[in-house]
Formats: sequence, C-alpha cells, structure tokens
Amino acid sequence: MTRWRKIVILLSVIGPGIITANVDNDAGGIATYSMAGAHFGYALLWALIPITIALIVVQEMSARMGAVTGKGLAELIRENYGVKITFWLMLFLFVTDLGNTAAEFAGWAASNEMFGVNKYVSVPLGALIVWLLVVKGSYRVVEKIFLVICLVYLVYIPAAIMAKPDWSDVALQTFKPSFQFNTAYIVMLIGFIGTTIAPWMQFYIQSSIVEKGIKKEEYWASRIDVIFGCFMTDFIAFFIIVACGATLFKAGIRVDSAEAAARSLAPLAGGYASILFAVGLANASLFAASILPLATAYYICEGMGWEAGISKTFKDAPQFMWLYTILIAIGALIVLIPNAPLMSIMWISQVINGMMLPPVLILMLFLINKEELMAQYRNSRTFNGIAWATVGIMIAMTGVFVVTLFL
Amino acid sequence: MAFFAGEIFVSELLNKPVLDQTGEDIGRLKDVIISPGEPFPAVSALVVVDGRTTHVIPWNIVNLFNRRVISVTALGKNLLPTLVSPTDILISRDMLDKQIVDIDGAKLVRVNDLELGDVKGTLCLVAADIGLRGMLRRLGFEARGEKLLSLFRYKLQHKLIGWHYLQPVEPRLSRLTLTVSGQKVAQMHPADLAEIISEVSQKERTALFGSLDVETAAEALHELEPQVQADIIDDMSKEKASDILEQMPPDEAADVLGDLPEAKAQELIQMMDKEEAEDVQELLEHEEDTAGGLMTTEFLSFPLDMTVEDAIKELRLAAPDVETIYYLYVVDAEEKLVGVISLKNLILARSAQTMQEIMKTPVKTLPVDAKQQDVAELISKYNFLAAPIVDENEAMRGIVTVDDVIDFLLPPASRKKRRRR
Repeated sequence: MTRWRKIVILLSVIGPGIITANVDNDAGGIATYSMAGAHFGYALLWALIPITIALIVVQEMSARMGAVTGKGLAELIRENYGVKITFWLMLFLFVTDLGNTAAEFAGWAASNEMFGVNKYVSVPLGALIVWLLVVKGSYRVVEKIFLVICLVYLVYIPAAIMAKPDWSDVALQTFKPSFQFNTAYIVMLIGFIGTTIAPWMQFYIQSSIVEKGIKKEEYWASRIDVIFGCFMTDFIAFFIIVACGATLFKAGIRVDSAEAAARSLAPLAGGYASILFAVGLANASLFAASILPLATAYYICEGMGWEAGISKTFKDAPQFMWLYTILIAIGALIVLIPNAPLMSIMWISQVINGMMLPPVLILMLFLINKEELMAQYRNSRTFNGIAWATVGIMIAMTGVFVVTLFL
Repeated sequence: MAFFAGEIFVSELLNKPVLDQTGEDIGRLKDVIISPGEPFPAVSALVVVDGRTTHVIPWNIVNLFNRRVISVTALGKNLLPTLVSPTDILISRDMLDKQIVDIDGAKLVRVNDLELGDVKGTLCLVAADIGLRGMLRRLGFEARGEKLLSLFRYKLQHKLIGWHYLQPVEPRLSRLTLTVSGQKVAQMHPADLAEIISEVSQKERTALFGSLDVETAAEALHELEPQVQADIIDDMSKEKASDILEQMPPDEAADVLGDLPEAKAQELIQMMDKEEAEDVQELLEHEEDTAGGLMTTEFLSFPLDMTVEDAIKELRLAAPDVETIYYLYVVDAEEKLVGVISLKNLILARSAQTMQEIMKTPVKTLPVDAKQQDVAELISKYNFLAAPIVDENEAMRGIVTVDDVIDFLLPPASRKKRRRR
C-alpha cells in the first residue's frame, strides 16, 4: 500500500476513537480533574499515565470487535449470552446514563450562568440543539461536528499556560509516581479511575465503528484513532490539573465543582483563563449530553433488535428516536425542576455505573477471545495478560470507588 | 413416535428436566437439533445436559414432548454420552437472538423466540417470534406483562413470522436453507434486498449474497453503495463474480469494476463474455461522473429506410438485451443520430411507413464528456426516460437512462446510509 493511500484511509477512518475518548472529559471528568488540581496540586499527575494505558487497552478491544465482527457490543452480548443478561444490562445502563445526562445538563447550566445566561433559557436551548443534531443530521455530518467540538477542548491549554505553572515541577510529578497515605488522596485517585472508564464508552465506540463501516482491513487506522484519542483526552486532563494546581492549590482554595474552579481562576490567572475554563465546561457538557443519550439509544436498540441509526426517521426507527428524545428531555427536566434531587440522582447513577463495569468488561474479554467471532484477531497471550490485569485492577478500583460513595 | 400437542415455544422447553421411561431424571433440555426439510425444518434430536455430560437423544426415542413433561422411551443408564456434531443446527444456539430476514416485511429482525408445531405429524420449526411478547416470555414475564399492559387496555399480541418468510443470514445456517433459500430471497425487491445486505455484517453478507441466483445478485448489487459492491465482488469467487457482471447492464458493470483495483477489474473483464467485455471496457474509459461513464451502450437504433413492420420485428428480437425500449433512435449510414421515435408512435404508425417518415427531429443530445449534472437537468427538463449521448462526430454512442441519474437527484435509502450500511 502506498503511503498516500494509507493517509487517505487514515483520514476516512478517524473519528470514533477521538470522539469517544474526548467525551470521557465530560462535566464530571472536568470537575474531578479540577478538584484533583485544587486539592493536591500536581501530586496526582503521574496517575494519568497508567490511566491512559488502561483506557487504550479497553477502547482498543471494543474498536477491534466492531471492525472485525461488524456488530455492536450489545448485539454481540445478545447473540452470545442471550436476552436475559442483555435485558438487565440495558435496563441498568439506561438508568445510569439518564443520571449522567442530567449531570451534563447541570454542567451546561452552571457554565452558562457564569456568562449570565439563566438555566431556564440555556438548558431547553441546549437540549433542542443536541436533539436536532441527531434527528436532522446524518452520521457523516454529525461526526464532523463532534470532531470540531473535540478541538474546543484545547482551550484548557492556554488556560494552563496563563496560570504560569512551574513546568519543571510539573514534569517531575508527571513521571515520578508518588503516594500519600490519607483518605482524601486515595478517594481522589479512585475517583480518577471511576470517571475514566464507563460502560457506555465501550458500547459507543463499537457502535460508531460499525456505523461508520470500518472493516478489518482498515482496522490499523482505527487503532491509531483510538490511541490518539486516549492520549488527547488525558493530555487535556493534564492541563486542567496543571491550571488548577498552579493557582487554586497554591492559594489554598479548595473547590468542589468545575464551575467553582472556573470562577476562582479569575483573580489568580486572569479573567481570560476563567472564561476559557467556563467555555471548556460548557462545550464538554453539551457534547456529552449529546453522545450519552445517543450511545444509550444505540445499544438498547441493538440489544433489543430494533432499528437504529442517525438520519433515520421516527417512522423507520421509532424506538431509537424515542429513547434518544426521552433521555434528553428527562435529563434536561431534572435540572430545571426546582429542588430536584440532582445530587442523589448522580450518586445513584455513579453507583450503578461502577457496578455495571465489571460484567461489561468481563463479557468483552470473553467475546474478544471467541475464535468463531474474532479468528486471528483474538487477543494475543501477552495482550490478554495485560487486558485481564487492567480489567482486574479497574474492577477492584471501581469497587472501592463505589464503596467510597457510601461513606 | 413422540406425542406432542399443538404449538410450543422453544423458550418454554429449554432447561426443562428430561425423564427416562422409569421417570428418572436424565438431565435438562439444553437445545433442539433440527434438520433441513420441506416445507419446514424438522426436529431431529434433543440435546440434554446433565452436569458435564451431554446426550444427543434422537427424536425417535422421545416419548412425551410438551411444556410439562419431556420423556424418552429408554433407560437413562443405557444412554451413552454423545457430542453435538459440528454440522448440526441447534435451534437455541444458532437461531435464538440472531438476526433474520423477514422477507414479507423486507427488513432485518431479531429472533426473540421460536415456535415448534405439528406439520403432518412431524414436529417442525414453523415460525419465529419477533415481538415484545416473545421477549417477555424469554424473560419470564409473559403473564405479568400481559396483565400489566391490559391495565392500559393494550393487548399483547404475538408477532410471529412463518418460516416461509424467513431467511437466516448466519453462515452456519446456510445448509438449512439450501433447498428454498434462493427463491425465498429472490421474491424480495432488489432495492429491499440491497438495504438488508447493507445492514448485516461482512461475513453474513457474503453468505447471503452467495445464496442468491446470478440474476437476483446482479440486480441487488446495482442498488448498493460503490464501496460495498467492490467488497462483495472481492469476497466472491471469480467465476461467480464475472457471471454476475455479465448479467448486469454494461454501464452498471462498469461502475462496479471502476471501484475495484485495476488488476482485479481487468482479470474479471477477461473472464466475461467477449461482447459484454468490450462494452464494459469502452465504458470504463470514460470518467465516472460524465455522460460517457453513466451511459449504457445497449440501445435500439434503426436505419432511416426501415419500415415500421420490420422495426417491430427487430424490436422483439433486441428487447431482452436492452435497458429501455421506449425510445428508438434513428441513425444514418454514418451512425449519425438523426431522429427519435417513441414506442407509442411506432405502434400507432402504419406498418408500411418508414422510420424517416415517423421520426421526430431534431433530437436533444449530450456529448460523452457532459457532466452528470447536465444529464440530470436535460432528463428532468424534458421528462425523458433516457437521453442519447453522441461523440464529436454526432455518432450515437449510448444512452443514459433516468434510473442512472435519479440517484443523483434523490439518493435512495440504501446509498444514503453507511457503506455497509
């Protein structure tokens, strides 16, 4: 294959990996990273390296299954493990994603309020934009818009630079693992992992690889897409931590949300840094508020055997369209109802999220090692070792994360 | 002889205990083996599992078979453990939860449950349940779901599709459908078929496509997106691929070949019938989105002095090989296009009249290098069914029919979607 042809394939395949990984930095992710920076300075930067590796290992397997089998993860689970497992998995994932969608709209509302936009204006408007995008758009167009949105994440880089961090200290703490034996530190470290790998991501990346029609012959290009996406995501996370570590941590300001971090940056790193942070949060929230319902509608329809796909009509794919619509409508309404128990909803959804991760990851590992599905694209022995170890650690850490939610 | 009653759903039988003639437990029903049959596949054996031992129990020693009792006319201790043969088709393993083509509805559906029934004294696989009710039954909620929904005055319907209207797409199941499959899928409109082909995975697509006869395959192939066409041709044996290409109108064959790697395309052209190959080769030389690339070289043309009577005779002979018979083109000795006659006018004319007398002039033509847009505009403006394409010497080279540009104006569903899809 000529180099030119390779580049063409790469450009045509790129998308699912970058998009899925970037949505990982959603409202919840940004809040976690801001808090990590504010509370512990650069002390948690080193954790980003193992997290990136874990993310790559898991995402790569989903992408590979999508390209080789031409089927979504929910479809594969249904075909190989039956309707019962699939049904309960889908039901629980629906609940967590509903909670997460509400959390994204809350992030969108908070960042808009920083610009003086009332949430009764911003949330319905945001919901409508997100809804129209998928209902009226086609996959190609929607994917391009999503990729452009991914670029907006780069605003965290100038924000970090404006915070004037001590770069040599940053570099040192990134590559030198450290550890603090106190509960707050450990809870934060586990929170990192809890926000990094969520079940919906495995479903979404596989479905979008399938929807895009990527074949096993082009898979090498998808792998680059996945790896690049995971790096980019944690690269952004790195700058969020640095920005907060260089300012809030030094000044001793302990924030407990992403919008509080954005507000507190103004006097320390200047108004522009604060605005960039708010823009980043608004962008990430709305982006995730679109992808989460989309991913959920996709995998439920795949698992249940209903028609699914962007650019389908309500007549062609009624269940898909209604699921998407309902998730957005309810997610937005929860934020708008005065005194809605938003914190409890997010709490429940995080608990279920954590509990659903082990079965999903284990089913994935079983599926990817099935000869009749994957043939020569199965995991190699070495990779299987890494994958099982990663999954084992992820499950253990997530288990502890769920326990901390009850403390 | 086994005793069974009426219709039973597979989900109601699975995991039920299987008893021997003394009432001893042999194990639990794990699966049901079926074998190809006309008109329905018949149950041929049961797979019974007890811990780690598997018994394949032939249907002829099954005594009772219903949702309450499953028993065999043998002693449990006399049954030897047997393994399922790799060629066996297992209902639960191979069909439940899998995708299947609903020929009548022309769409892909997922099998929630399967129904067994009595067909002239034999227990056969008669239908697939694709509805909510089947899913609730699998989940063990059928009765509760029915009660709950009746509160909303909604009656939970069975959504069964008879085996006549089903076409499995799993490669493993192709053996089951060898007897009837070709005809079953061929009943579908090629456009519907293409949409389904574009929705299944690569492996299933090759299996499904392989079961089609050459004619249906050629029609369905044309409806697919170029990249999918190329993939399918690539996966097929060269012999079958060249047969299908021969069957397609030359312009469509040229489109498909144009998307293949040069060497592969040339190889397939070599294997095609000589005359067809020449037409295709010529079309391949034009740019794909110009009139030359869109046109077909098969059209009806008659000399100026031919009589209506002879023209109708000629028409009968040539009609099977041309794409459209609604326009007859009149050419002079130098192959120059001088007039056109509609089929209607030809039939209404008296037999002794010549082409020259009844033809309409001048003819709206387009050069071979005209853009797709221009061709579409001409056809749309004059409401043509086809537009004649001429070279620099005004000699007629081919026609572009309306179906070749309608996709340009209004992309059909199967092309709008992904590759695969």
